Amino acid sequence: MRLGIIWAVLRREWIETLRNRLLVATIVVPPILLTVAPIALAGLIGERSLPPDLAEQVLRQRPDWTSFTPGELAGAFAVQQFLVFFLLMPAYVPLSIATFSIIGEKLVRSLEPVLATPIRTGELLAGKAIAALVPGVLGGWVTYAAFVALASVVYGPALFAVVTDGSWLAGVFLLGPAVGLSSVVAGIIVSARVNDPRVAQQIGGVIIVPIIGLVLVQASGTFVVGAAGYALTALLVLVVSIGGLRIGVRLFAREAILTRWR
Amino acid sequence: MTDPIALRATGLGRRFGDRWAVRGVSLEVHRGEVLGLLGPNGAGKTTTVRLLAALIEATEGTASVAGFDVRDRPDEVRARVGILTETPGLYDKLSASANLDFFGRLHGLDVATRAERIERHLRLFGLWERRHDLAGSFSKGMRQKLAIARALLHDPAVVFFDEPTAALDPEAAFVVREAIEELRQAGRTIVLATHNLDEADRLCDRIAFVRGGLLRVDSPAGLRGTHGRTALIVRLAGSASSGVASEVLTATRATAGIDPAAVESIDGVLRVGADEPESIAPAVVRAVVAAGGEIIEVKVERSTLEQIYFEVMGVRPGAGGEAA
Repeated sequence: MRLGIIWAVLRREWIETLRNRLLVATIVVPPILLTVAPIALAGLIGERSLPPDLAEQVLRQRPDWTSFTPGELAGAFAVQQFLVFFLLMPAYVPLSIATFSIIGEKLVRSLEPVLATPIRTGELLAGKAIAALVPGVLGGWVTYAAFVALASVVYGPALFAVVTDGSWLAGVFLLGPAVGLSSVVAGIIVSARVNDPRVAQQIGGVIIVPIIGLVLVQASGTFVVGAAGYALTALLVLVVSIGGLRIGVRLFAREAILTRWR
Repeated sequence: MTDPIALRATGLGRRFGDRWAVRGVSLEVHRGEVLGLLGPNGAGKTTTVRLLAALIEATEGTASVAGFDVRDRPDEVRARVGILTETPGLYDKLSASANLDFFGRLHGLDVATRAERIERHLRLFGLWERRHDLAGSFSKGMRQKLAIARALLHDPAVVFFDEPTAALDPEAAFVVREAIEELRQAGRTIVLATHNLDEADRLCDRIAFVRGGLLRVDSPAGLRGTHGRTALIVRLAGSASSGVASEVLTATRATAGIDPAAVESIDGVLRVGADEPESIAPAVVRAVVAAGGEIIEVKVERSTLEQIYFEVMGVRPGAGGEAA
């Protein structure tokens, strides 16, 4: 792997991405919503408390929240639901970039001249994958930092402690990148077979189904995923992604692109 | 001593599934030569180009470019070839110079070399003033010229043009042919895959007829010598009676140095087949005039490359398939 070549691909990908207004909008708008919405929701809940049964269930899952006032408990429970939404960003941003990039190149047939250079397909794939993965993961982290800062300013130490505990850190910094990688892999695999970025995103979007499932399970209060749960899930996703990456590498072989991609 | 052969192929073939796209391709291309690969759609021209440019692997046979084997040293081969595909495949959201800069980086050119070559090639193709404009804003002809500049940026030993004018309007195609002509005059080694006969005739030193393999390789003059027909055509005045026409025919057949069987007269046009029609023209004209014929026009007729193409390919135009 030659870093100079990977950097050339990465640089070009990012320049093109930044010049695609639709893509930039889909990358920039959701993080703003993600930052503001949980804070606003916690504000709406205000001093209202959870129903006793639910409060009891939540405290069984999170005994460290026992010291919270009823209002803080309600706010903490509401904000906790948003952790999984911070996993959506590393999921959909890389998927959008990867599908636009690969299918875009298929449509204008710009890959053949690239493949006619001494570039190795691994370098091309690495450049594209990193170009898609980094904005999603970094974007998720930056959004999370903004969210934490806002939460601590608006709601004080109790809610700050909630959004910086182990489950959040494991979710954002371990599971997020793993989900991002799985999203890139899905983007590569689907884009090799489909010629419309929107269709590719819809198909590739099935990877968010487990995340939505996590939202629903947590919202019921019967099961709140902790740090170990997120770390374990990250490992599982990573293993599956690496398996998928092997398929992606095969689909991204020079011969396959030139003779089978249509 | 530098090898005068830029490209060699021996028994090169590629199979997709059960079907051979090309087979038995053996040829040599000299440095500074322009070789045309001429054949219909689906004849295997693009596959041949891809095999020779180390883009796909051969099922059988060998090939080398600038001394590097396409199978064993594909990276070295790709570093020494430039390729222009049917569609230019540019990055529309990048400027002309950014497009070239990207490919310069892929070829490992340093900053100073990239800058110098980008300027040189953009100036060569008249695009320097538009260097900051997005490639997406260029006309088809300009896009194809930018793609040619991209193919030349790393100073390749062999440049492949794969149907460079197939998708272009006549004006853009003209611009591209002019660009290729300039490269030819500059001594570039070029392989031009095309189904445009006029293009091949005008630009190529040798032409390889491709149809699942190489059917024949020769210079345009050589092809005409082997497959073509040349004749002296003498158009007589319409008032010439059939008697006069008959006398003209007889007199011409009796002319020294002319094969009587190669002389025919149809509808007031005398046709005299000969390898060098110019050399027999004075004698034929004298014979026609002596026989009472009135000459309107004398011209040399040569087979077009199109006629030779159909003969070599074994197809009859309009017959919808191969000749019987």
